[in-house]
Amino acid sequence: MDLWNHILLGVQVCLDPLNLLFCFIGVVMGTLVGVLPGLGPTAAIAILLPNTFHVSPVTAIIMLAGIYYGAMYGGSTTSILVNIPGEASSVITCLDGYQMARKGRAGAALGIAAFGSFIAGTIAVLGLMLVAPPLAKFALAFGPPEYFSLMLLGIAILIYLAAGSILKALIMAVFGLLIGTIGMDSISATQRLTCGLLELCDGVGLIPAIMGLFGVAEVIANVEQEIKREFVTTRVRNLLPTLQDWKDSIWPMIRGGFLGFFIGILPGPAPVISAFTSYAIEKKLSKHPEKFGTGMIEGVAGPEAANNAATGGAFIPLFTLGIPSNSVIAVLLGAFMIHGIQPGPMLIANHPDLFWGTIISMYIGNAMLLVLNLPLIGIWVQVLKVPYPILFPLILLFCLVGVFSLNYSKVEVSLMIGFGVFGYLARKFQFEMAPLVLALVIGPMMESKLRLSLVISHGSPLIFVEKPISALFLLISLALLISPMISKIGKRRQKLQKIVEGEEV
Amino acid sequence: MGKTQNLYDRIAAAFFFGVGAFFALYACTIEIGAWNEPGPGFLPFWGGIILVMMSLSLLAITWKRVGLASPSFFPESDSWKRVTATFVALIAYNLVFDVLGFTLATFLFIGFLVKFIFPQSWLRSFIVAASAALIAKLLFVNFLQTQLPKGFLGL
Repeated sequence: MDLWNHILLGVQVCLDPLNLLFCFIGVVMGTLVGVLPGLGPTAAIAILLPNTFHVSPVTAIIMLAGIYYGAMYGGSTTSILVNIPGEASSVITCLDGYQMARKGRAGAALGIAAFGSFIAGTIAVLGLMLVAPPLAKFALAFGPPEYFSLMLLGIAILIYLAAGSILKALIMAVFGLLIGTIGMDSISATQRLTCGLLELCDGVGLIPAIMGLFGVAEVIANVEQEIKREFVTTRVRNLLPTLQDWKDSIWPMIRGGFLGFFIGILPGPAPVISAFTSYAIEKKLSKHPEKFGTGMIEGVAGPEAANNAATGGAFIPLFTLGIPSNSVIAVLLGAFMIHGIQPGPMLIANHPDLFWGTIISMYIGNAMLLVLNLPLIGIWVQVLKVPYPILFPLILLFCLVGVFSLNYSKVEVSLMIGFGVFGYLARKFQFEMAPLVLALVIGPMMESKLRLSLVISHGSPLIFVEKPISALFLLISLALLISPMISKIGKRRQKLQKIVEGEEV
Repeated sequence: MGKTQNLYDRIAAAFFFGVGAFFALYACTIEIGAWNEPGPGFLPFWGGIILVMMSLSLLAITWKRVGLASPSFFPESDSWKRVTATFVALIAYNLVFDVLGFTLATFLFIGFLVKFIFPQSWLRSFIVAASAALIAKLLFVNFLQTQLPKGFLGL
């Protein structure tokens, strides 16, 4: 009964015309971002964040969440039509989606991707409603040591999944933690490395850092050489899948939906891992695995469903523990804080309108995407045809204005450019961005939990192993970090690394 | 002889060694505190020390390892010019846009990038720059009410 009341509350919040409008703007912007290669949802949320300051937190979060799952929809369009994934999570869709397009079945591929995303989005929303509240209650028992160890586990997972050397990923994580210490110390109010700049008192801004590392660095890497794109020029038609298409796709969609949701709960690049896993499962279950890669509709339906459901699952750690599981959620965490809301176990109890409103908006947003995107595919194809030499200055302009309008500060714009230089060089030197970003975001939280734990235990670091939940998190972290040394697991990790390479986490 | 990944790793190790050492030394100037009462310098100090140790490990690994040839730093001979010019344009925009005003600075910024990074015709560059500046003004200033500098022309 309580659940129904909460759902009704969510529906009430969502049906507010302003919230509906912002949900619409969010999903359309998200699709646009997903369509355009070189601009991910992280940068898009960061760019649009300042424009949400004048609306209520619920409205803002509804729009920003819309960008995230909207981007997953948009990513499939580029994979199918251009063979370039707009998002890393749509890489696998290229295999069969593009082949379908070459055979004149682009419409069916795009249609099934949209329906698959909608069905999986529904599964994720239902899962989120059922799993988040009990998990939040469980998390209430967490103290500073448990939180510290959990955050360490989040970083350890990203390090484990980082492409290339674990040592380099560890270096980036520690570097991120150190940058996170810049600013006023929250316990003693001591200024640390602020150089007398007011902008640094609250620490290094998350938005300038993310826009620099992902937005500017990505654009700069792309201007090294001109990107050539090959289009499928046949007209996109017959978007509604046939009965046979439905028969072939319905189970892959449902399987992908559940798989994506559960993988989404774990920290890391869940959309991309779930899409690849779903593809592998469908290939294994298929009667014709040899035909995968030649235009099998199951190879589009499963992964597209999985990556969309994973975005729903990724909200669980944020809503229940206040911990971001990837860089997109990290920016959303920043958005919560800017709007004066502290995500964590108390969020659902203290702000039920926000939690249930956002969840129901995801459902409504998914329906909007389905209704809008099928007829709008023609427009997205036109957007894709905008040449990169014209597109990239506009992306840079959005980054510049987005960061400046946060606090009207040129120092923050300089920081963004600085992070852009660093991000560009780090890519060249094969250093992973994900551990740095996550460490930067949760660094200040980790520091305060670490210091509180040590004060509670009178200086004994054993407190982290004496508490059973904390000890479990530490054990898993340790296992993840040393497991690549065991050759069999090391090989499995290399496979995973190939999958997540290039992902924006 | 081509560059190897070892060389890149050594450069990176040296950089992170410097960063770690800097943070550790800086932490000594503020209060590190004790284990039972950690001060503001606690994490910067231990984090700095760990970063120094990790960069030394990276350095040691590159000494033992046979260097794999890396692809050249820039994929094309003139890539560096485009990369440098884009960064310079970003810095210049940040320096002058309060003096020139948002609209004029945006026009020049977009025009420069469109004309010189992947060279387009003058007419095309002008049209793209002018429409981008105009649309950006309408979107950010008029519609989203973002406070952007107007500059000496009041634009």
